Amino acid sequence: MLFTLLEVGAVYVSGLSVYTVWAILIGVGIVKAYGIAAFFMHLKGDPFIYTRTALFPVLFVALMLWGIGLSNPDSILGLPDWCTPNYDWAYVIE
Amino acid sequence: MKTVVIGIALLVVGGLAYGVMSVGIASMKHHAWEDTIIPYENAHDHYVEASDEFATADKAWEDAGRPASGEVHDEREDALEHYEHAFEEYDHAEHAKIDAHLSYLTWKTAGITIALMMVVYASFYLVAGFFNSIQPDDDPYAHDGDHEEHHGSASPILMASGILLFMMGFPGFVDTCKAVLGLDYAADYGGFTISVVGFMIAIVGIGNWWREDLAGHHEQVALGQPFGGQDIRKAGMWIFLMSEMMVFASFFSSYLRMRTEWCTQWAVDSGRCVGPADVVTASDLLRHDIGTLLPGAINTFALIISSYTIVLALKTAKDTKWTVSDNKLMAKLFPTRKKAVRNYLMMTLALGSLFIILKLIEWSHLVAEGFDINTQAGSIFYVATGAHGLHVFIGLLVMLFMIFKADTVGYDEKNGRGIEYFGLYWHFVDLAWVAIFPAFYLY
Repeated sequence: MLFTLLEVGAVYVSGLSVYTVWAILIGVGIVKAYGIAAFFMHLKGDPFIYTRTALFPVLFVALMLWGIGLSNPDSILGLPDWCTPNYDWAYVIE
Repeated sequence: MKTVVIGIALLVVGGLAYGVMSVGIASMKHHAWEDTIIPYENAHDHYVEASDEFATADKAWEDAGRPASGEVHDEREDALEHYEHAFEEYDHAEHAKIDAHLSYLTWKTAGITIALMMVVYASFYLVAGFFNSIQPDDDPYAHDGDHEEHHGSASPILMASGILLFMMGFPGFVDTCKAVLGLDYAADYGGFTISVVGFMIAIVGIGNWWREDLAGHHEQVALGQPFGGQDIRKAGMWIFLMSEMMVFASFFSSYLRMRTEWCTQWAVDSGRCVGPADVVTASDLLRHDIGTLLPGAINTFALIISSYTIVLALKTAKDTKWTVSDNKLMAKLFPTRKKAVRNYLMMTLALGSLFIILKLIEWSHLVAEGFDINTQAGSIFYVATGAHGLHVFIGLLVMLFMIFKADTVGYDEKNGRGIEYFGLYWHFVDLAWVAIFPAFYLY
């Protein structure tokens, strides 16, 4: 409940940048998801095979997110410099 | 007999909810809404009039070379004051009208939703009672010998085949229903027949599955790898949840892909595009006002608490040393272990039902505000949250069966695993909501 209040509060607090709100929403979401999976679904006490089973689709989710990134209009131009070392920008500008 | 009484009681509750909420309170709210329409129209006319007056005065002031004083200047100032006052009144009247409309929709939708859910619950209870009445009266756990190994069940396959046929014929089913209702659609009796046959096969499959589960069985254990030594039902449930994760992941990826292209208010605020925003998302309508965000926030609490109550049901079922609480209220709520398990499951059912009611109220508000399924943003929102709501509803139907079983056969340390494995599904639904709420309501 506190985590949900934190999420809702982050959206209402003025002055926070959208990136901070993003970070809070994603961070709180991960904490909540871990809590549900580890304790309610008792992955923490169960044999590791169940955790592996649960994590298997995450590979595909990561691939889909990668695909979203690649097909985004900002996929190359919007990337920070450290992601594109020695990239020939002249080709893009042309 | 007990199931008939409970079924009738559920129907009475549904009828009362419909009568009190959808007919009684909603008609009062409807009158209140109608009462706001004339003041709104008057305020609108007044606003248009004041706006025209100000435009005329402003033009005269411009033509006169924008004097800082004098008759033309004073007339413009008076018209501006009049305009501002008229706008304030119009804005107030419009908000009053919208609030009255949404209040009416809240009661009407809540009443209809509760009535429909009670009809479904009553039907399920009556069907479960029928299947319970036709099974033999033997002790399901009396045969513990090696020769009584469980040999699997064809019921899930039967049910899945029925659902397959039902879905295959579903477009024809919908077209035929529309044609029968007098809408401009051509009936497709072939599809309709396939769908109805599929539905009946699914019902037989579900019914037989219930009968087998009520009778009890020995837990099958996987012999091969990678689940060697584990209960087959548990492994099967996890593999099913794996496929469910992929379903929700596809909703999320399509939403995120579209969202990265849209110029929403959020994108404008983060500098990703130049305003004004050209796409309105559900979160734009929901997140700025606590009143509109409240159903989603309450739903988050409801699902998380319902996850906890089902854990308590499992814990109670497995606890061989369970004793009645010293607290009088708790002792009344949970007088025996069997009733405690049933009551925890009923609490879970109530919280899940609350989720569905609030979800439909929220949808009715969004549709009233013009956010419908005909836009890209509306389409992905209603499909994703609707698919999640459908999962909750299917979970509630299974929960009804479990309540029935808890009330008749009872759950204990021998058969409590049924709650555990259903609990995995219920927790997954909770987990999906944990991702949907921030993504669709807050972002």
